[in-house]
Amino acid sequence: MTAPAILPARGLADRLTGLFWRHPRVLLALLLTPPLLWLGVVYLGSLAALLLQSFYAIDEFSGVVKEEFTLKTYGELLRPSNFDILVRTVIMAACVTLACAALAFPIAYYAARYARGHWKAAFYLGVMLPLWSSYLVKVYAWKLILAKEGIIGWAAERTHTSWIIDGLLSIPGLEGSSLSTSPLGTFAVFCYIWLPYMILPMQAALERVPTSMLEASADLGATRAQAFRTVVLPLALPGVIAGSIFTFSLTLGDYIIPQIIGNSANFIGMAVYQLQGTAGNIPLAAAFAVVPILIMLVYLALARRMGAFDAL
Amino acid sequence: MTSAVEFQNVSRHFGPVKAVDGVDLTIAEGSFFAMLGPSGSGKTTCLRLISGFEKPTGGAIRIFGEDVSATPPHLRNVNTVFQDYALFPHMNVRDNVAYGLMVKGMGRSQRHAKAEEMLALVKLDAYGDRKPAQLSGGQRQRVALARALVNEPRVLLLDEPLGALDLKLREAMQDELKALQMKLGLTFVFVTHDQHEALSMADSLAVFNEGRIAQIGTPQQIYDRPATRFVADFVGSSNVLPPELTRALGGPAEWASLRPEATRLAASGPVRGTVKALRYLGSGTRVVIEANGTEVAALVPAGQPVPEEGATTAFAFDPGALHLMGAN
Repeated sequence: MTAPAILPARGLADRLTGLFWRHPRVLLALLLTPPLLWLGVVYLGSLAALLLQSFYAIDEFSGVVKEEFTLKTYGELLRPSNFDILVRTVIMAACVTLACAALAFPIAYYAARYARGHWKAAFYLGVMLPLWSSYLVKVYAWKLILAKEGIIGWAAERTHTSWIIDGLLSIPGLEGSSLSTSPLGTFAVFCYIWLPYMILPMQAALERVPTSMLEASADLGATRAQAFRTVVLPLALPGVIAGSIFTFSLTLGDYIIPQIIGNSANFIGMAVYQLQGTAGNIPLAAAFAVVPILIMLVYLALARRMGAFDAL
Repeated sequence: MTSAVEFQNVSRHFGPVKAVDGVDLTIAEGSFFAMLGPSGSGKTTCLRLISGFEKPTGGAIRIFGEDVSATPPHLRNVNTVFQDYALFPHMNVRDNVAYGLMVKGMGRSQRHAKAEEMLALVKLDAYGDRKPAQLSGGQRQRVALARALVNEPRVLLLDEPLGALDLKLREAMQDELKALQMKLGLTFVFVTHDQHEALSMADSLAVFNEGRIAQIGTPQQIYDRPATRFVADFVGSSNVLPPELTRALGGPAEWASLRPEATRLAASGPVRGTVKALRYLGSGTRVVIEANGTEVAALVPAGQPVPEEGATTAFAFDPGALHLMGAN
């Protein structure tokens, strides 16, 4: 007996597969509805609520939010005490991003180009492992490391290099009794905590640059530095941008690290935390929270203008 | 004549793998030289040894008489057309072609003018502003060619440049490449696994097998007088006859090669066989006969009668067509 040209359906799975084959949109709808609901309602919805709040203002006498549209709250952002917070946070985020990029690139390049087998596994483990332990434990550990009596101070004393730390701590703007109470400490801990978020997208981007591109550039007479500038960096730029979005926006929004490490100067995240909590000024907290969103939009627009996504 | 490239007992071993093993080679200046062989035979590694992307583990390589063992790729005056073209996706065609001049410090307008000149040479004048992704495979290939030639290299290396093109385009590009090489008088070193391509384009060629050169010579020498059974089988798709069969056919007891197109079917002969398979080729039919346990192919020109599968037939050939290759 010959086999039939059409095989009988074996059950529900076969019939469903058939249904999806005849109506591809049904499958698409089934797949997309839950995440779109989540994204649309929970993410974008709350973002819209936030945006709305930022256009309200608080009544100075009663402390009650008046539901009238006004730009008064945004005007308050420009008050020197508030504006300082914005500038401080943006400078910190920019410095952290640049330092993370500089630290991450050699590691990501090695992992993408040379690491194979066990070394690759070791790379992923080494980058991911710090992410598995508690954020707070790591930050407090750093507080001890950076403290005057900590390992860095101890090592500096033993090698008679304490003058380097003292010199750094006497630079205006970076003052502190030790690294753990100086903005330098805040910067170092931010770099440590966010570095994996820079390495991973960079490594993924570098991995997609074919070896033949590098060979072609050398073949045409480019030195290593020229190949890096004209071929590797432009092709890896989307990954660098992706990584910098992580480090930049995570630093813009963090409110724990500057509370524990550093000179207790206010950052955007801390301001939001205090305003919505003890101060009860939700509109100003919302206005503060809108700033990182605007900064990221401007940053992305600039990156796009510079051709960062041309290679995508 | 000077030799453009010279290999002296060159080896490239990757641990236990002998990708290239004791190769001696001389490529004459201005010649179109093909490196032919199956994949893994060492031909591409040889090309990469010339460009400098591989370092020899033994022996010496000279380019125009100069030892290049300490010269990095970017200082060798040779350029490569890569198998996947390796065009830079973030640059337009003009900047791709001008890349070599850019990294050597040539000014913008001057290098763009030179790039346009080269694009005209490969008939892509109007394409300077496009991105590589907007081009067809054949056009990308021409850009890769222009990008290499604009640097005026002493030797142009081509790594299976036609492999990704369809048959019609490939044949057109073969003619074009050959014409270009004649016009420029440049030394071309061409890697391919396609025997027809190698035979039709090269002035001389080296047949690679397992990291060594099996034979080196002109296409005619290689086709008519293969040195080994491997060459006979790989290059000519020739019949390789074992010593017993050669003797039964009236020759000495040696291995021999016999080209299918020199073999014809006959009513009677010293050896008879069974028709095993027929393959229609358009210009004729390839008839495979099994005789004394060996498969022998004969080419029956179009218009002549073709036997049926399973029929018994004898075959004949011109005595001069039998090429002897020794007893082992």
